[in-house]
Amino acid sequence: MSGYWTGILTILSINIIMAYAVFLPVATGQLNLGGAGFQALGAYTAAFLSAAFGLNAWVTIPAAMAVGGLVSMAIAFPLLRTKGVYLVLATFALAEVIAGVILNTDALGGAMGLSVPDFLDYHVPLIAAVLVTLFVFYLMATRFGLTMRAAHDDDVVTDLLGVSVRGVRVAAFSLGGALAGLAGALYAHTFSFVDIQSFNASLSIYVLLYVLLGGTQTAFGPLFGAAFFTLLPEGLRVVMPELKTFIAAAFHQSGPLSPPDESWRFVILGVLTVLMMAFRPEGLITRSLIERLKPGRRTKRLDVAQEVSA
Amino acid sequence: MSGHETANILSLRNVTKSFGGLTVISDVSFDVPRGARMALIGPNGAGKTTVFNLISGFYQPSEGDILLEGKPIQQIPSRKRIGLGIARSFQNIRLMPHLSVIENVMLGQQANAGGLVDMLKPLSFFGHSAWRHEAEALLDEMELSSYPGEVVATLPYGVRKKIEVVRALAAKPRILLLDEPAAGLNGAETDNLTSFLKRLSATGITLLVVEHDMGLVRRLCDDAVVLNFGRKIYDGKTATVQDNPLVLEAYLGPRHAGTVKEGAADVA
Amino acid sequence: MLLIQQVLNGVMLGSVYVTVAVAFTLTIGVLNFLNFTIPTLFMLSGMAAWALTKWGIPFGLSQALPWPLALAAAVVMTIVASLIVERFTFRYMKTKYGDATEHAIPLVSSLGFLLIIENLIRIGYGTDAQRMAAVSWDTTVNLGGLLLRAPQLISLCVALVIVSGLNWVLKHSRIGRGLRAIAENPDAANILGVDSRRLVPVIFMLTGLLCGLAGILFAINYGEVSPQMGEDIGSKAIAGMVIGGLGSIWGAVLGGLIIGITEMMTIHFFGADTVQVAVWGLLLVALFVRPQGLLGHHSIGKGKL
Repeated sequence: MSGYWTGILTILSINIIMAYAVFLPVATGQLNLGGAGFQALGAYTAAFLSAAFGLNAWVTIPAAMAVGGLVSMAIAFPLLRTKGVYLVLATFALAEVIAGVILNTDALGGAMGLSVPDFLDYHVPLIAAVLVTLFVFYLMATRFGLTMRAAHDDDVVTDLLGVSVRGVRVAAFSLGGALAGLAGALYAHTFSFVDIQSFNASLSIYVLLYVLLGGTQTAFGPLFGAAFFTLLPEGLRVVMPELKTFIAAAFHQSGPLSPPDESWRFVILGVLTVLMMAFRPEGLITRSLIERLKPGRRTKRLDVAQEVSA
Repeated sequence: MSGHETANILSLRNVTKSFGGLTVISDVSFDVPRGARMALIGPNGAGKTTVFNLISGFYQPSEGDILLEGKPIQQIPSRKRIGLGIARSFQNIRLMPHLSVIENVMLGQQANAGGLVDMLKPLSFFGHSAWRHEAEALLDEMELSSYPGEVVATLPYGVRKKIEVVRALAAKPRILLLDEPAAGLNGAETDNLTSFLKRLSATGITLLVVEHDMGLVRRLCDDAVVLNFGRKIYDGKTATVQDNPLVLEAYLGPRHAGTVKEGAADVA
Repeated sequence: MLLIQQVLNGVMLGSVYVTVAVAFTLTIGVLNFLNFTIPTLFMLSGMAAWALTKWGIPFGLSQALPWPLALAAAVVMTIVASLIVERFTFRYMKTKYGDATEHAIPLVSSLGFLLIIENLIRIGYGTDAQRMAAVSWDTTVNLGGLLLRAPQLISLCVALVIVSGLNWVLKHSRIGRGLRAIAENPDAANILGVDSRRLVPVIFMLTGLLCGLAGILFAINYGEVSPQMGEDIGSKAIAGMVIGGLGSIWGAVLGGLIIGITEMMTIHFFGADTVQVAVWGLLLVALFVRPQGLLGHHSIGKGKL
C-alpha cells in the first residue's frame, strides 16, 4: 500500500476512535467540548513514557488509556454536577487547562513538543479502531447502553425507573476519556512526535461536530461522521485548486498563499453543520433510518395498516 | 408493626407538600389496601399528580410520612423506590422518544437488573436475551406485539399511552400508580385497558389510578379518594362518591350541588 | 509602580474582553444560547477593517477606503453577519422532543458558523497576522509616571459607554422590557404580546455591534489582526462572563476586568506561558465552586442550553 493511503488510514482510525470517545458522553446527553484535552493527555503519557523510559508501545498505550480514563473519572464527579451551557464550558475549560499545563511542563517538552521513539505503522491504529468500533457497538447493545440512551432522552424518568443516571454518566464519560487516551497514544506512536498545538480547541470542536453530524442515537453515527470528515478533503483535492485561484483573485490576493486546503474542509463542515442542525438535528444516521433500512420492515408496516383498517 | 397495619400496602400519614409559600398538598392521609383497585380523583389542580410524585420520590413531603407496608420510605431516594415495588406511569407521556418500543419496556425492567453482569450482558446482540423475551411477552399481553422495533416518537398517542403502562409493569411492581391511563384512548381502547387492568389486579398487583374518565373509574375501582385544593374531601366506596355533597361542590361549584347529580360524572 | 502600571494595563486589556463578554452574556441572558460565533464576529470586524483600508471591497468594487469609513463599514458588516447567523441558528431552536442535547441545536449551529466565517477569511486573506497601519492620534499620556496610550483609553471609555447605554436600554425602553420578558419566560412573553420574532434579531444586532466595535478597537490598539485573533479573546471573554455570572451585564464587565488583570498579573509574576492555565483554571474553579458567578442568578442556563 502506498504511503498516501496508509497515512489516510492512520488518520481515519484515530479519528474514529476519537469520535467514539466523544460519542459516549454525548450519547448520555452530555456535550463534551474538551475531547482534544483528553487526547493530549493520552498522547503525552505515551510520548513521555516512551521517550523518558524507553517503554514500548504495548506498555504506553494501556498506560495512556488508564491516565485518560482515571483523570476523566476524577474530574467527572464535579464536572457532571454542571449542566447544559455550564458543562460545555467546563469541558472546554478543562481541555484548555490540560493544554496549558502541558505547555508549561519542561519534562514534556513545553512548546517544543516531544519525539516518540517507538514507531508503530498503520496496522495498529487500524486494528484498534476496529476493536473500539466493535466494543462500542457491543456496549450500545447492552443494558448499560440502553440506560445511556435513556439518560440522554429523559434523565428524570430514567432515575425514577431505577437507573443511577449519575453513575451511567460518570462511567460513559470515563470510558470516553480512556478512548481519547487511546487515540492520543496511537497518534503519538504513529506520528512519532507530539506537539500541544495539534490538540487545540478547534480539534475538540471538529470532533464534536462530526459526531453530531453522524448522529448520536446509534454507534453508526460517529463511524460515518469520522469517515466522511476524514475522506472529504481527499475528494476535495481534485476540485479545489481552480476554485482557490478564483477566490484568491476576487480578494486581490496574488503570489504564494498560505495553504488553505484545510480551510475548505472546515468551511464545508461548517455549512453541513448549519444545514444539518436546521433540517435534521438528530444527525444523519438515526434510529428511524436504520429501522427503515432493515429488511422485512415494510411488510410489518402493512400488517399494522391492515390491523387498523380492519 | 401489627398485622392489621400491613394489610395496607401503602399509606399516607398527614402528608403536606409546600413549594415556597404555596401549599399544594395539605394534611392528606389515606390507606391503599393490598390488592385494592383505588382511584385518586379530583378537579384539575387538586394535587393528584403531586401525590404520585411524592409516592414515587420525585418530591419530598414537607411534613408527614409515606409508608410502604408500614415502613416510612420518604428518605429513600427516588431511583430506589421502583425496586421496592412502586412503579408509575406519567400524565404526559414520558417514554424515551428515541428508544424503540421494546427498549422502553426493557428499560422498565431496570429495577430488577441493576447488577454489573446484567448491565453488561447484551440485550440483543446474537439472538435475543431472556430480558427481551420477557419484554416481548408483556407487549403481547397488551396486544402491542406488532410494534417492538419502532421508535416511540413516531407512534400514535394511544399506543404510547399503553406502552407506558407496559413499561411500568416490566418492573414487576407490587403497586402500580397510573396517571390518567385512559386519556386520549377511544372507547374500545378504554374497554380493553379496563379489562386488562382487572386481569392485572387479579394477579395481586395493587392499583392506584388517577383518572378523569368516571366511567372507567366506576368499572375498575372499588374505592376512591377525592382531593380538592390539596385536601382530602372523600375516602370511601366509588359507588357512593357522587352522593357526597363536598365532592359535588368541588366539581360543580356550590350553587349546583344537590341539583345536578348525574352531571358530575361527565364533568369529572 | 510597575505593579500599578500592570494593573492599569490589565484594565485596558480587560476593556476589550468586557465588550465581547457583554455580547456573550446578552445572548445567554435573554435567549439562553451560548453563541460561539461571537469570537468570529470580533475577528471578522478586525480583519474587515484591515482589508478595507488595505484592499477596498472584495471583487474589485472599490479602492482602498479611508480608515474612518473602513471602520464604520467593518462594524456594519459584522452586524449583517450576526443577523445572518440569527437567521440560521436561533430560528431553528424549536425542537421536536424535550431531550438534553437537542437544546444544543443553536449552539452547534453557531460552532458551524464559527468554522465557516473563520475559514473563509483564511481562504481569502491567508492565515498570517497582518499589520494594521497606526492611527495618527496614537499618543502616549503620562500620568505621574503611569503610561496610558490614547487608543486604549478611548477603548475603555467606549466600552463603558456602550455597556452603560445597553444597561439603560434594557432597563427603561420598550424593547428592553420585551427582551427582559423573553429572558424570564419566552412562552409567557409571547402571550403577553411581546413579539419575540422581531425582538430576537435585536439581540443579534447588538451582538454584532458589540463585536464589531471590539474588533476595530482591538485592531487600532494592538495594530495587528489575524484570522486567529478571535479565539484568544473569545475564550477569555467567556471566562470573564462565567466568573461574573451568566446573563448579568455588570457581571460581564467585572469578569472581563478580572480576567484582564489576572492575565497581566500572571504575566508579571509567572511569565506569558502560564496565562492559559491561570485564566482557565480560574474559570474551572468558578464553575465548580460558584457556577452562578459573582453577580449572576443561579437559574439561567441551568436546565436548557
